[in-house]
Amino acid sequence: MTGPSPALASAREADGAAASTVKALQAEGRNAEARERYAELIARHQRRASRIAHHYLRDAAEADEAVQDAFVKAYSHLASFREELPFDVWFTRILINGCLDRIKARTRRERWVQPLSDARSPDRDLTERVATAGPSPEEALLARERRRTIAAALARLPERQRAVFVLSHVEGYTSREVSALTGLNESTVRVHLFRAIRKLRALLGPDGLGAAAEEKGKRRVGS
Amino acid sequence: MSVLERLGGRLLAGHVTEREFARVWVDGGAHPHLDACLECRARYDAFAASLTAVAEDLRTEADAAFPPERLALQQAQVLRRLETLERPVRIIAFPRAARPVIAGHSHVRRWITAAAAAGLIAGVGIGQLLEWRRTLSIDRTPVAMTADRHTSASAPSSRAPGVRTVSVTLGDEDLLMGSDALARPRVPALGALDDLTPHVRDIPDRSR
Repeated sequence: MTGPSPALASAREADGAAASTVKALQAEGRNAEARERYAELIARHQRRASRIAHHYLRDAAEADEAVQDAFVKAYSHLASFREELPFDVWFTRILINGCLDRIKARTRRERWVQPLSDARSPDRDLTERVATAGPSPEEALLARERRRTIAAALARLPERQRAVFVLSHVEGYTSREVSALTGLNESTVRVHLFRAIRKLRALLGPDGLGAAAEEKGKRRVGS
Repeated sequence: MSVLERLGGRLLAGHVTEREFARVWVDGGAHPHLDACLECRARYDAFAASLTAVAEDLRTEADAAFPPERLALQQAQVLRRLETLERPVRIIAFPRAARPVIAGHSHVRRWITAAAAAGLIAGVGIGQLLEWRRTLSIDRTPVAMTADRHTSASAPSSRAPGVRTVSVTLGDEDLLMGSDALARPRVPALGALDDLTPHVRDIPDRSR
C-alpha cells in the first residue's frame, strides 16, 4: 500500500482549505455562506461515504441515513477539526463510528424482532430491472449474479477484516489512513487485509467466482 | 493432478504460492522470483486482476444503490437539517389534555388549592354550627313524662304540639291495644268478614 496519489493529495488540500473556510464562516456567524461552502464538501464526498456506509450496513436506506447523520455531525463539530488530518479521513471516522452504532442497535433490535422476509434482496425493486441501452439482459444478469456472489463472500468475512478490505482495497485508503480510521494498529491493519484476501480467494476461487458459485450450484441441485 | 500434488510441485520448483502473492500484494513490495519466473508473474497478475475486479464489482454494486438523484436528495436533506440546526429551538407546548389540570408551579394552582382548603374549612364549620344549634333547640323543648298509660291513651290531643315524649314504658296490654287498632279492617266491605273472625282482643285476660 503506497501513499496517496498526487491527484488525491491536491484534492485533500482543497478539502482542507474548504473546511477551514467553513469553520471561519461559522465563527463569524455567516451561516448561509458556511452552508454553501459545506455543500461543496458534501458533493465531493457523499458518493464515497455512501459506498462505505453501504458496505458496512448492507442496506441502502440505512446507509443514506448514516451518511446524512455523519455530514450533520461533522458540520456541527467542525470546530474540532484539525487541519493536519485530511478532511475525508476525519469525516470517514465519524461515518464509521455512526455505522458501527447502527449495527449495534440493529443487532439489539434483531434479538427481539424476527424479520418477516429478506427485505434486502436486490430483486425486490422491479423498477430497477427496466430495459436500458446498457448490456444485454443475459450479461446484466451474469454481472449482477457475480456482484451478488462477491457481496455475499464479503459479508462472510469477520467485521474487522471486511472493514479493512473495503477501506484499503475498495476505497483506496493507505494502511496508515485505515489505521487512523479504525483505530487499529498499522501492522494489524495489514494482517487483517492479508487474512481478508486469503479468505475471499478461498470463497470466490481463483477466477473470482469459482468456489462460491460452485457451492451455490451444489445447493441448488441438492434442493 | 490433485491440489496437494500441484502445490508440492510448485514448492519444489521454487514457485510462489498464493499465500505469498497475498503477502506481496498487501506489503506492496517486490518478490525476486516474480521478476525471474514468467509463469509466476502471469499468475500474480491474474491474482491482482481478480482482486481489482472484486473491488470494481463492489464499487459498482454500492454505486447502483445510490444513483445521482438519490445523492442530490441526500445533499438537499443534509442542507435542510443544517439550516434547522441554526434556527433557535421552537418549543411546542405539550397538549393540555395530557397534563393534569393543576400541574406545574402557577398562581392558578395556588389559588385552586387555597379555595379548596377554604371551602373545606367553611363546610366543616357551618356543619358544626348547625349541629350545635339543633342540639341547643332540642334541649330547650318541654319534656312530658307519660307516666300513666291511661292518661296518655285517653287524652293524647291535650298535649301541646311541641311537646315530645321522652320515654314511655308500655305493657302487654298497651301493645295489644295498639295491635287492636291496627287489626281493625279499614275497608268497609271487609267488616262482615272481620266480625266472623275471632280476635285476640276477644280472649279474656286470665293472667290478671
